[in-house]
Amino acid sequence: MRKIKFEYKLAFSYLLLGGIWIIFSDKLLSSIIYDIRVLTEIQIFKGWFYVIVTAILFFLFIKNHLTKLRDTEIELEHHKNHLEKMIQEKTNDLESKNEELFRKNEIINQKNTELKNTLVCLQDTQSHLFQAEKMASLGILTAGVAHELNNPLNYIMGAYVGLFRHYENKTFSENDEQVGILIDSLKVGVERSVSIVEGLNQFTRNSQSYHEECNLHEIINNSLNILQNQLSNNISIHKQYANSEIIIKGNVGNLHQVFVNILNNSIQAILNEGSITISTKLDDDYVHIEIKDTGEGISAENIEKVADPFFTTKEPGKGTGLGLAITYNIIKKHNGILEFQSDLGKGTMVKIKFPK
Amino acid sequence: MIRKKKILYVDDEKINVQLFQINFSNSFEVLISCSGMDGLLLLDKNLDTEVVISDMKMPEMNGLEFIGKAKGKYPNKRYYILTGFDITGEIQHALDNKLILKCLKKPFNLQEIERILNE
Ligand SMILES: Nc1ncnc2c1ncn2[C@@H]1O[C@H](COP(=O)(O)OP(=O)(O)OP(=O)(O)O)[C@@H](O)[C@H]1O
Ligand SMILES: Nc1ncnc2c1ncn2[C@@H]1O[C@H](COP(=O)(O)OP(=O)(O)OP(=O)(O)O)[C@@H](O)[C@H]1O
Ligand SMILES: [Mg+2]
Ligand SMILES: [Mg+2]
Repeated sequence: MRKIKFEYKLAFSYLLLGGIWIIFSDKLLSSIIYDIRVLTEIQIFKGWFYVIVTAILFFLFIKNHLTKLRDTEIELEHHKNHLEKMIQEKTNDLESKNEELFRKNEIINQKNTELKNTLVCLQDTQSHLFQAEKMASLGILTAGVAHELNNPLNYIMGAYVGLFRHYENKTFSENDEQVGILIDSLKVGVERSVSIVEGLNQFTRNSQSYHEECNLHEIINNSLNILQNQLSNNISIHKQYANSEIIIKGNVGNLHQVFVNILNNSIQAILNEGSITISTKLDDDYVHIEIKDTGEGISAENIEKVADPFFTTKEPGKGTGLGLAITYNIIKKHNGILEFQSDLGKGTMVKIKFPK
Repeated sequence: MIRKKKILYVDDEKINVQLFQINFSNSFEVLISCSGMDGLLLLDKNLDTEVVISDMKMPEMNGLEFIGKAKGKYPNKRYYILTGFDITGEIQHALDNKLILKCLKKPFNLQEIERILNE
């Protein structure tokens, strides 16, 4: 139902009451009083009575209405105050949140810089580790070279001793055959020493270039020579090389490191007796190198991890776990692929593929 | 003429045994062989061999394995290793067990070996 506005209600009630009062009160009076004089007098009282009652009613009506209005106003004011307070509070809240965000942002910025520094640090460490691993393989290398060199030096020493005796005794001419052997030994000794030193130079070559001519068979043979003193006579080496030379573009020193690392792992995996088979193949686009050992093998669980930096199953001091991580990186730099297949207890096959 | 002392030198590298023979046959009777197996056969035929010198690293049977077998049969001879290696754990063990008397280094030292042979 539509609410009728107060002023209409008031005017309407007044009209209605007034009309009813005039009509009925006159009728009532004229029906009980017949004296005109008394009637007139009473009419005056009636008028007064009417005015007073309506005034009182008006007063009560308006008062009631105004009170309501005032209450509403007060309530409104109340609400307004409350709202203001709430807004103030929310604003304060927002400001503090904002401040907090700002602080957090600052912290994030700080962490970001720290992270950047750490990254630089890590890169630094990585290059150090690369160097360390190179030094570690150098350790293998020097031990290997010392042993390798001692053999040709033995020839040279033997030849010298023999030749010197003949020289002292002036017995060269009567010992043709022997002197021939001695001179040959001298020659072989020097040639082998030279080839060992050449191999050493190749390995330690500190070139950054990836455009050197790399003769893979030569590099593999060199790496085997370097590892000679790690090889006990219980390990046989089988070479199944492609008929032609294989030359790829790359870094000679780094490729030596690749084969020393892989072959050394194979040697270390052969606990008692076994063999290492190295095969090379060429197809239209790729060079394939497979190094297969009959060592202890790698578990399925570990095979995914072998190239992870620091992953090692060797005793502390025996392996850094960096060998294959570095090998992997070097092969990647040559756009090559490194893969492992292994049967636990039976052996491991390392496959390398280089683009031709 | 007094009889020369009989010695055996074993090395898988031909040049090494040839040189050894050339350099020591003036003062000694030098038997040579290129493997431990042949070395053992030579010892069986030459019971009067006094000193045995062997290379360490040889295919099939290494120097210590050969000396181990030889000493099992002929404990009264003197045995030495001549190697390009540093002393390894295996060699140290043999020294401790008195399997060999000394580990000689390549390149060989003529005086040292002559002195040892003459002991
Ligand atoms: N041919 C293999 N046969 C068996 N296990 C292997 C072979 N190659 C690698 N592995 C396993 O992979 C692990 C990681 O090899 P990686 O060369 O990276 O480190 P490492 O050999 O332990 O130590 P380092 O090479 O630094 O001396 C090895 O510890 C070994 O468990
Ligand atoms: N003519 C040659 N040219 C190049 N390398 C050779 C030649 N002959 C032998 N070698 C290499 O030299 C290595 C050393 O020889 P070997 O295996 O007999 O050990 P060794 O040095 O004689 O052992 P030890 O130090 O105990 O005497 C051989 O394994 C072989 O790889
Ligand atoms: Mg390794
Ligand atoms: Mg040898």
